[in-house]
Amino acid sequence: MSDAPTTQPVLQVEGLVKHFPIHGGLLQRRTGEVRAVDGVSFWIRRGETLGLVGESGCGKSTIGKVVLKLIEPTAGRIVLAGEDVTQLKPGAMWTHRRRIQTIFQDPYSSMNPRLPSGTIVGEPLENFGIARGAARDERIAQLFQRVGLRPEAMRKYAHEFSGGQRQRLGIAKALSVNPDVIVADEPVSALDVSVQAQVLNLLIDLQEEFQLAYLFISHDLAVMRHISHRIAVMYLGRIVELTAKRTLFTQPLHPYTEALLSAATAPDPKRRRQRKRIVQGDVPSPAKPPPGCHFHTRCPYAMPECKITAPPLVEVAEGHHVACLRRPVGGDPRPLSVP
Amino acid sequence: MSAILEVRDLHTQFDTLDGVVRAVDGVSFDVARGETLGIVGESGCGKSVTAMSILRLIPPETGRIASGSIRFEGEELTSLSEEAMKRLRGHRISMIFQEPMTSLNPVLTVGTQIAENVVRHLGVPWSAARERAFEMLDLVRIADARRRLDEYPHQLSGGMRQRVMIAMALSCDPQVLIADEPTTALDVTIQAQILDLMLELKEKTGTAIVLITHDLGVVAETTERVVVMYAGRKVEEAPVEALFAEPLHPYTRGLMRAIPRLDVEADAAGTRPRLQEIPGLVPRLTQPIPGCAFAPRCSFATDRCRGEAPPLVDAGGGHTVACWEVGRVRAST
Repeated sequence: MSDAPTTQPVLQVEGLVKHFPIHGGLLQRRTGEVRAVDGVSFWIRRGETLGLVGESGCGKSTIGKVVLKLIEPTAGRIVLAGEDVTQLKPGAMWTHRRRIQTIFQDPYSSMNPRLPSGTIVGEPLENFGIARGAARDERIAQLFQRVGLRPEAMRKYAHEFSGGQRQRLGIAKALSVNPDVIVADEPVSALDVSVQAQVLNLLIDLQEEFQLAYLFISHDLAVMRHISHRIAVMYLGRIVELTAKRTLFTQPLHPYTEALLSAATAPDPKRRRQRKRIVQGDVPSPAKPPPGCHFHTRCPYAMPECKITAPPLVEVAEGHHVACLRRPVGGDPRPLSVP
Repeated sequence: MSAILEVRDLHTQFDTLDGVVRAVDGVSFDVARGETLGIVGESGCGKSVTAMSILRLIPPETGRIASGSIRFEGEELTSLSEEAMKRLRGHRISMIFQEPMTSLNPVLTVGTQIAENVVRHLGVPWSAARERAFEMLDLVRIADARRRLDEYPHQLSGGMRQRVMIAMALSCDPQVLIADEPTTALDVTIQAQILDLMLELKEKTGTAIVLITHDLGVVAETTERVVVMYAGRKVEEAPVEALFAEPLHPYTRGLMRAIPRLDVEADAAGTRPRLQEIPGLVPRLTQPIPGCAFAPRCSFATDRCRGEAPPLVDAGGGHTVACWEVGRVRAST
């Protein structure tokens, strides 16, 4: 990658592939595979948010799980704070888990209902041998305060908190081990708008305070634009466009990005009649992705060549990567016309 | 325009272990023939319970319409017999839900399910009902509709299932279609297609739509008039342009400032403006709320707000708001 990061990235992913086998028939033989992630590369600097956006089935959550090494990649390399962790077995991965933590969409499902919230948040402190006893309790109280919960709430159980408060608990738990990277998979999707704002503001404050790197996974373009510095747009297992946030929204180059932006609703009734929708139809199954460019079946600008050749992700302008045959290096950045 | 549906002072309550929950607490609104009315609010505000009340789908074991009136084409629904309600549902008033898979029968083909509804309500022969099912699938732009008639719900994608639900809901030409978060479970590119389809069909058939959603973007792009609910009460109602041009209730204002915007070009590279938070939490609905339900979270609140519930007042141009301090809210930026 020619626009290599100026400082050492805290997380680097190269050529990541994850295929899930499909078993079928009487003998449950392997009959195919879902190419959930099909050759994905990116990096994240300290203090930076990389947004992964795409629709269901595009592989964004699988990337999160592979990067966390909750599932093993089929191919590719994951470098965490300068160390290649791709081949590490669970035991060896253990020490690296401190560096990379996660926040889930529904924190409730990851919390033991029979433990007080303080114990849940403090578990990583014990597991990693960071603090015990009074020191641990003090650290938990600090964490509670930092995420906007009263330290007395340590004695309450998960079900006694609201959705937004539970997400704060999840954030406190992730923060407890001072990670470098946090993978946040749809962390505000289940929250009401007014609470969503509280959690997004908290995540941004924490990032600035602790120089956290976020891999922020979401389907919501408005949330993405708010929190990300750079954004990667995914379609059926591949990154189709990766660039600085501002460029993505002012000068989208990939037809799928354009389609996503045109489909997003805006809270402004005056815009309703102006919009043109540019795609129809459904996303094809990731078990049977179309040949060539995965998007050609829905792309209004597709050429015959697009059905055959899978376009590589190339840097067409500084820091702006696009995988589209109609967007060559040094090409005209103006909107495409239908051939 | 005459109202086809009139809801007056609706109170719907549920019995829980914590006491009686006042899920809908005195809500009134009209739906005019052929219009699209949005009901917007956050979880627990009573928007879905309002819809369920209109269709009399509140489970009698735990809940009830405690008082109020719901008139459809002049006929009172709250006292209608269950038999008469059954003839109404899916025929003159129909409904689509967020998750089509939970309302479709997994062991019947979609053609059979649509045709069943047509036979039940219109009394036509099965062959004519099948033909109607085909027409409806074609109308909601399901490609190869003839073949899809014989497919089961699991063979369809999420977007197509929602199209089937719309086809079924419109199969008997209802006067009112209630859509409860119809696109929330769908991807953005599919959501756009479904919303466009609903509006297009509304133009064709003249069916009034009550669109229930938490998404202000969906409201802005699809509705003509909007009711904003908070804690079981209507706090504001306005034509959609007026609501977004000048929201008058502090809660509506708070909601609009809390959402990240895609359409605002202000931020330079790297700077992330803070979202405005609405402090605090939604009140518990098991206790009677004497004053304005939003007062504990409102920066304009006075002692009167906490002690006495504000009535809905006319703010001009079809805009009504329930706020004692609307003058101060208006004067602030």
